[in-house]
Amino acid sequence: MTSSEDAIMQLRDVWKAYRVGDIITWALRGINLSVLRGDFISIMGPSGSGKTTLLNVLGLLDRPTKGKVYVDGLDVSTVSPDELARIRNRKIGFVFQQFNLVARMSVYENIELSLIPARVPAARRREMILRALKSAGGEVEWLTKKPTQLSGGQQQRVAIARALVNNPEIILADEPTGNLDRASASVVLRTFLKLNRGGQTIIMVTHNPEVANCTNKIYLISDGVITGIRTPSRGECIALEGNV
Amino acid sequence: MLKDVFRYSMKVLTEKRFRAVLTIIGIAIGPLALVMMTSTVRGYAGFIEKSILALGQNTVVMLPSEKYRLSKSDIDYIKGLEEVDDAEPFYSTQGYIQTPEGRKNVFLYAVDPSMLLRAIGGLEIELGELPQDVETTYCVIGHSIAYSVGTGTKIYDVGDVITVNMVEVLSGGRVNVRRISIRVKGVFKEFGGAAFVSPDQSIFLPAKSGTTLLNMKEISGVFIIAKDPSLVDALTRKLRSVYQDKVTVVAFQQIARTVSSVTAALDFIVFSASLSAFAVAVAGTASTMITSVIERTREIGVLKALGFTDRQVVLMILTEAIIMSLIGGAIGITLGTLGAHLLASRGLSIAAGSSRVDIVANPEITIETLITTVLITIMVGIVGGTLPAYRAAKIPPAVALRYE
Repeated sequence: MTSSEDAIMQLRDVWKAYRVGDIITWALRGINLSVLRGDFISIMGPSGSGKTTLLNVLGLLDRPTKGKVYVDGLDVSTVSPDELARIRNRKIGFVFQQFNLVARMSVYENIELSLIPARVPAARRREMILRALKSAGGEVEWLTKKPTQLSGGQQQRVAIARALVNNPEIILADEPTGNLDRASASVVLRTFLKLNRGGQTIIMVTHNPEVANCTNKIYLISDGVITGIRTPSRGECIALEGNV
Repeated sequence: MLKDVFRYSMKVLTEKRFRAVLTIIGIAIGPLALVMMTSTVRGYAGFIEKSILALGQNTVVMLPSEKYRLSKSDIDYIKGLEEVDDAEPFYSTQGYIQTPEGRKNVFLYAVDPSMLLRAIGGLEIELGELPQDVETTYCVIGHSIAYSVGTGTKIYDVGDVITVNMVEVLSGGRVNVRRISIRVKGVFKEFGGAAFVSPDQSIFLPAKSGTTLLNMKEISGVFIIAKDPSLVDALTRKLRSVYQDKVTVVAFQQIARTVSSVTAALDFIVFSASLSAFAVAVAGTASTMITSVIERTREIGVLKALGFTDRQVVLMILTEAIIMSLIGGAIGITLGTLGAHLLASRGLSIAAGSSRVDIVANPEITIETLITTVLITIMVGIVGGTLPAYRAAKIPPAVALRYE
């Protein structure tokens, strides 16, 4: 069974339950969502509303308890864990709130991590890494540095480069500015906007309205249910110079 | 992929190098013990077996008990047995000589020269010749008597006279030192250490010298040569059956078999003892890897989010364990080899009755031993790393990413 041809990612009546002892908690309750190519959407909601669970389901990091997830028209609810890993590697790039860079590795090696499961030949890697770092607003001088030698904003740009290096169809960002000061958050958002203008699909989870207002569409989630879709107010986007 | 996994694993190990070094030391003890102990035991076992067999696979020695005197009729009876090719009596005693290096203990054998060469295989003349049967004051001396053990310079040459001191206990408990002078007619080539008979430290005289020059009244034993090695067992059974406890019958072939079975058992014990060191290494590796996996739970979550499959995660964790095993194995084998040479160089004393032979054998470090050691060491890494690797692979990525 396939989904709508325009949607790169689609959720149909997705439910997700967590069991702690005898208690079952429903983190997602009947989510329906279509992400079109080139979309830049944000998912907003209070803590515990199910934002990150939704992002994990979208990123194939977690399977729904009920419902269907389609990636590029493919129903992924039945594919093997190894195939899920391959789809994640080829089609999805992740950006995390904590950056999640490996401290012992250089910036180059961190970005290279995405290329290893893709089995990209070593000869092609440097060029791909440089292109990704440039797209993420990074600098060549960072390549030999360890992540701890960079500022938070710089580290997040490295993380974006790692997400971009495989040319994924979609970038999933979980509170990408949550650990950054206002100026760094603005730089990261500008990077996302630039990528989106280039056609990159981005889904971002945030609880910050100034960040959500930089996207094209805001999904409001509460108690595991999408309660509304709001048009962002671009004038209140953190990435606009006057707002920094 | 394998190159990347290897590089990644090396990064992990160098980051936590103190912990890795301790684990590697723990792993190295197994191969060290295995190589050092088995190669030393096998070296000495092989040496002793070879030495015994060198004495002649057809050779049987019959020694009288204290209550029994061997006579010419015994020799004739033995010569007449269908399994026997030849039999000759011998006289043996001990003495000492004074050399520029000090006092040196020697064994004296009076035996038919042709029988001597048949009974002790591999014995060859280096200088001079064997004395004739009637030349009762002439002898052939062992290599360690003719040459200085320390410098290798010649002490006695053909034509020299050796004075041998023999301690005799007279009636009433009095001790008398009797001196005999013998002329050297030949020197044997170096025989090497031998168990029970040590030609290098012996002086061989014609058989008649036993009763004349050595003044011995009783035959010390009989060298018997069987017609074929396959007849040795039947011959010894027959002699034991006829003489009962009046004599001790020694067949070098049988001793070699006994030594072989004893050393095989010893080898197994040593191998088993070494395996316990490997078992400890498995526990150490597993402990290190589990700690490492727990510490890197979030990182493993990131790797999975980036597209690493469960199998690739298992491969990465196992590679870390195997790298530590291989380094530990290399260190263990190197130290084990050095230790084996050190241990073997200390020598071994074998006491047989009143005589004592010191032997030094090289450790037997075979390709088979090394391959076995390397394979067991790799198994340490695989067994020790499997559970942590499986655990790492099975962490759901969403859970791993939430791990603090």
